[in-house]
Amino acid sequence: MTKNPEYRDLFPGALEMMILQSLRLKPMHGYALVKHIKQVSDNLLQIEEGSLYPALQRMLKEGWLDSKEGISAKGRPTRIYRLTNAGRRRLNQEIASFEKMFAGIARVLAVSKA
Amino acid sequence: MLRFRCFFYRRRRYGDLNVSIREHLQEKIEELMEEGMSREDATSAARREFGNVALIEEQSREVWQQTFFQHFLADLKFAWRQAVRLPRFTIAAMLTLAIGIAAQTTIYSVVHAVLIDPYPYRGAMRMVHLHLYDKEPVPDDLGLTGPQFAEFQKLPVLDGAIADDMYSRALTGEELPEQVEAARMSPDGFEYFGVPALLGREFGPSDNPHVAVLSYHFWKSHYDGRRDIIGRTLEMDHEVFTIVGVLPQRFAWWGSDLYTPLAYSADPRRIANVFARLKPGVSDRVAEQQIDPLLERFQHETPDNFPQIFKVHLVHINELAIGRFRGVLIILFVSVSFLLMLACVNVAILLLARGEARQTEIALRKALGAGGRRIVGQLLTESLLLSLAGGGCGVLVALAGIRIVRHFIVILPALFPQEAEIALNVPVLLFSIGVSVATGVVCGLWPALRASRTDVRQVADAGSHKLAGRKGTRNSHMALLAAQAAITVLLLACSGATVQRLSRLMHADLGYDPHNLLSVSLAVPEGAHAAWGDRAAYFEQIRRTIEAAPDVLSAAIKEGSLPPSNFDSTPISIPGMNTAGREVEPERVSAEYFAALRTPLLHGRAWSAPEMAHAAHLALINQAMQRRYWPNRDPIGQTIVLNHGVAAVNVWTLVAPGNDQHFQIIGVVADTPNRSLEEQVAPAVYVPYTAIMHDWFNLVLRTRASATAGLLHRIKQQVHAIDAGQAVGDLVTAEDLLQGDMGRDRFVASLFTAFAFLGLAFAVSGLYCIQSFLVTQRTREFGVRIALGARREHIVSLVTRSSMSAVLAGTGIGLALDIALGQIFSHWTSGNSRDPEMLAIVVAVLLIAAALACIVPARLAAAIEPMDALRAE
Repeated sequence: MTKNPEYRDLFPGALEMMILQSLRLKPMHGYALVKHIKQVSDNLLQIEEGSLYPALQRMLKEGWLDSKEGISAKGRPTRIYRLTNAGRRRLNQEIASFEKMFAGIARVLAVSKA
Repeated sequence: MLRFRCFFYRRRRYGDLNVSIREHLQEKIEELMEEGMSREDATSAARREFGNVALIEEQSREVWQQTFFQHFLADLKFAWRQAVRLPRFTIAAMLTLAIGIAAQTTIYSVVHAVLIDPYPYRGAMRMVHLHLYDKEPVPDDLGLTGPQFAEFQKLPVLDGAIADDMYSRALTGEELPEQVEAARMSPDGFEYFGVPALLGREFGPSDNPHVAVLSYHFWKSHYDGRRDIIGRTLEMDHEVFTIVGVLPQRFAWWGSDLYTPLAYSADPRRIANVFARLKPGVSDRVAEQQIDPLLERFQHETPDNFPQIFKVHLVHINELAIGRFRGVLIILFVSVSFLLMLACVNVAILLLARGEARQTEIALRKALGAGGRRIVGQLLTESLLLSLAGGGCGVLVALAGIRIVRHFIVILPALFPQEAEIALNVPVLLFSIGVSVATGVVCGLWPALRASRTDVRQVADAGSHKLAGRKGTRNSHMALLAAQAAITVLLLACSGATVQRLSRLMHADLGYDPHNLLSVSLAVPEGAHAAWGDRAAYFEQIRRTIEAAPDVLSAAIKEGSLPPSNFDSTPISIPGMNTAGREVEPERVSAEYFAALRTPLLHGRAWSAPEMAHAAHLALINQAMQRRYWPNRDPIGQTIVLNHGVAAVNVWTLVAPGNDQHFQIIGVVADTPNRSLEEQVAPAVYVPYTAIMHDWFNLVLRTRASATAGLLHRIKQQVHAIDAGQAVGDLVTAEDLLQGDMGRDRFVASLFTAFAFLGLAFAVSGLYCIQSFLVTQRTREFGVRIALGARREHIVSLVTRSSMSAVLAGTGIGLALDIALGQIFSHWTSGNSRDPEMLAIVVAVLLIAAALACIVPARLAAAIEPMDALRAE
């Protein structure tokens, strides 16, 4: 897969954080999740659609997500992913640590500009 | 139970995943179609954005698996199927590896057991002989008196020293006395060696001198290995000793039959040989620097025990034991390493050829979504499986090889030091397996590396490479072929040289008739017949008695053993000639010697009986001596002066009264080898044995055919009748002696030959493999060529040309290397690896074998039916 230089790679854990955050709003199936992330990020974040699935499996295994049978937007059977309580806690931790990191980076950038 | 649930759980997860991904793609396609794309475009766009479906599914599934183990199992199963599907490939690769590993391990095990660590003694690597060198090439062992030894022992560089002397003594008190080799050793000697007794105990400083410790060999042969002999007594020269212990099999210092404590006497003429062990970390040079001044002082005290001008030289015991065989073993080790290298090259060729054939398969796997790591993992499993199976077989073959070598030790005891115990050397086994596994892994992975560089389309594209073969691959194959040919030439040349040498030895001109010729050694009990005239008469009496025996045709006395015996050479001077630095081989014999050996007397006469009895100053010389000093003149009547030890007399030698070392030549006899079978005969002088007598001699007997059975017993009885205390040593036939001399060469020649033919087999199979591979790869091309009218001979030459030129180039390189390395080879093995005749045979053998290996696949290629070839694709 060739990469479009306009888009940035995600940092480790970013994809998981976005999935958790998206699923906090409402349970979704895979394709909906991809569309949601793309829309919300205004297509600025490039994610390979397929890479979602290994990540989902990892999170299922960790117990942050739960899946059940459901119906897609087109009316066909699919699997709906839902956030668990453990997932919610995980998301809060992730956001806290991300904000700390972000603040740190912002400060460094501000100093070097001045 | 848990596993079971896990399994179903996983199945459900996989199903969920599958449904999710399918729906994902479906939905995306529909959306794209709604935007106005055709179904086809939408499908490919959706797949493009999604990525490799199979790969992603697998990665997702991996989350739930104990991936490594499962992949490994799957790979193992696949590897097994591959191996079974291509049995010829598998067996060839495994056998090659097994033989390479086994040969390397066996030979190294021998080298280790024989050269590197043959002795069971404590600190054996630091044990040294002290050789005194004057200007003669043959050194003397250091001999010291009691007080000197006590002082020597205290040198700070030494970690212990022992004094010992060896005697042939008569085991009396039985029906007939038996000759045994008894070593008298410092009372603390066993502490020095640090090898515990097998049975009973060893003697120590607190023991009285009348105790004996038996060697394992003597215990087995004389006492049938009975355990109740401890505490019993034995009698040597009518002295009674108590047996206190038996030594383990590997204790064989000087090969003595038994050991008794040495009590140094006050007599300054009584000396004993001295051996020492250096302290750890002390170099030979440093030790020699400390020892030299001490010995110089000793020389002032007892000048008779030392050469006039000398230098001490330390020789480690393992160097001494193995002597010239060292070089041969090193060459053997190098060649066997070559053999392992050949084996590895062969496996490389096999794996590369197969890897090339599997490019399509690998490309397909990649296209179907196999990750790079999975492909590498699978190939790795395959090559590891193969290498380890080869290694396993290698271990078995190596164990068998060790058994064969042990068998050689049993039938050729002179081959290796008696102490050596040949066992499988595990580190080297692991090393060899490591090397072959590494080869397997590298060459097995090569297709994966290639595949990562190639594009799927290129390979899948109806096989464009099948037309001409890939240039890079071909080059690497040709390089491997050339290397194989070069190494094979070297191995064949080694084998040729050793075989040639063996045949030279077997057909060497002996100058005497070894058939029905034998010798028996006799040693006079210490102090018996101590007057010169008495001893001469005693020796002659024994000789005459034995000669009168019915089966004996003639009996002679010779001080040394039968030719080719090595004896000290001695300086010679000839009045009126400049002979500075010249030496000859002195041979002390009785007049009957030439008749007994059937060595022709060419000129002049031998001694008469009264001349022998009075040690007349008359000598015979050999042809080599005449050629050297009187090439065109009659040597008879000339006078020579021998300096053979009259000056340095000790208690064991009796010099004829009036022996002034001047001898007049009375005859010339034919040459017999006197250095070794292959060396040129050195000038030799025969003088009456009575001129200087020691306390032992050899009886040389010419017997009637098949008289050996019971002969020794009859000799013992007759000698017993003359002197009840006189023991008789073992009987050796000249033919056995010669065989023993050649045993080593035979062993070496057979090993080298085995290696060479294994090497040849490897090279030929490698070549055959490459040829078959080329033909398979180019079947279609050949089909097209034939269809277009190419003649069959053209196809044959197309197939064979490059391989044969690689073999030719390799042969050339091999010959050049052989000639370049010939010096080293002959230095180490005294064989000639440059003999043009032998090299011609070597090259012919290799080229014929190579041509055969080429022709068979080439003929197959020429027989290709164009239609079949095109349809086969």
